[in-house]
Amino acid sequence: MDHHSLLNLATELARHMMECGAEIYRVEDSVLRLMRAYGARDAQIFAIPNCITISLTSETGEPVTRLCRVASHSTDLDCLELCNDLCRRLCEQTPPVEQAHKELADIFRHRPRFHPLAVMLGHFLIGAFFTPFFGGGLLDALCGGLCGLAIYFANRFLAPLAGPNVFFRTLLAAAASSLAAQLLVYAGIGQQIDTITIGALMILVPGVSLTTAMREVMAGDLVSGVSRTAESILSATAIALGTGAAMFLGGLL
Amino acid sequence: MEFLLNWVLPCIYSFGACIGFCLLFNIHGPGMLICGGGGALGWLVYLLMGLCSTTIFPRYLAAAVAITLYSELMARIRRCPVTSYLIVALLPLVPGGGIYYAMRYSLSGDNQQFLTTLLNVFGIAGTLALGALLASSVVRLFITFAHRAHKHK
Repeated sequence: MDHHSLLNLATELARHMMECGAEIYRVEDSVLRLMRAYGARDAQIFAIPNCITISLTSETGEPVTRLCRVASHSTDLDCLELCNDLCRRLCEQTPPVEQAHKELADIFRHRPRFHPLAVMLGHFLIGAFFTPFFGGGLLDALCGGLCGLAIYFANRFLAPLAGPNVFFRTLLAAAASSLAAQLLVYAGIGQQIDTITIGALMILVPGVSLTTAMREVMAGDLVSGVSRTAESILSATAIALGTGAAMFLGGLL
Repeated sequence: MEFLLNWVLPCIYSFGACIGFCLLFNIHGPGMLICGGGGALGWLVYLLMGLCSTTIFPRYLAAAVAITLYSELMARIRRCPVTSYLIVALLPLVPGGGIYYAMRYSLSGDNQQFLTTLLNVFGIAGTLALGALLASSVVRLFITFAHRAHKHK
């Protein structure tokens, strides 16, 4: 069996799972199972949120290692489910490695994605439902939804200016939504600026990284757990800073 | 009418917001309804606990436990990762309001209130973590025992 292509397959699977936002223990466990199912000797994997190292020993006894940086993290739970299913199936049936490669690439190419309009609707819904959730009225809900859209557009058009830095991206998006909320209240459409701002900010709140962080700490992956906790604290700070700066600006105008 | 305003509507809001998050996190099909149901259930438990608890931490703890049990159950039924349901359903409980008010207090120079709110935020986040941790550990233990009992038969 060709251990190089097996190593590549394992790395690709790990990278896809990480990019979809999987927890570390899920990635490590899936890859180990996969490599053992294909009969790899002494399979090892070590992963932290932005780096994966996988190593195995070939039949002739020479060690092979591959390292892979994971640049971007998003949350794509459907794709994660598909990767998980594929991994389970590969472990049971162990088809030829080339075919497995093809299936993995197919998942990534043909995964179901929402139309950008649906994603916009998602932003609107979150803002529009969280605003009355925190005590706003009907018109406030509409404003909350519009501020959610402001976050979508900020993420889409302003975020490339901030580069890959999540802190500045969150800061910009929070500032945009807070400015939109102030404008809407100033125009007389919304009544309660607090509930509108909070409703839209719930989109940015680092709930996902917090949940992932605590599941990782629970599973014993302290390095990634702590780094994700730090990430969520930083995001929360960015939200507060962005909103604060926008409110300060709004107060001046 | 009051029943509707205080009990039903908040759960519907929670449901709708979770559906919105499903669109963001690319969850398709029946998973969307399950996530929304989890969000509504969590908030319902939070509201119900308000009847027997005066402080907020036990309410958040109970809600987190309920959501985790629900997600574990749904994940077993649909044979897919727990994370998808847990992440989305927990989101309405995350203290976004606390972050905002803490920022407001710090802007207005009210340090006492700022620190109180900030500690509250950390407390809530910790409580959510503890609740989910507790529930999923219990589920894991239970499954291990069930497996062992099954093997011995």
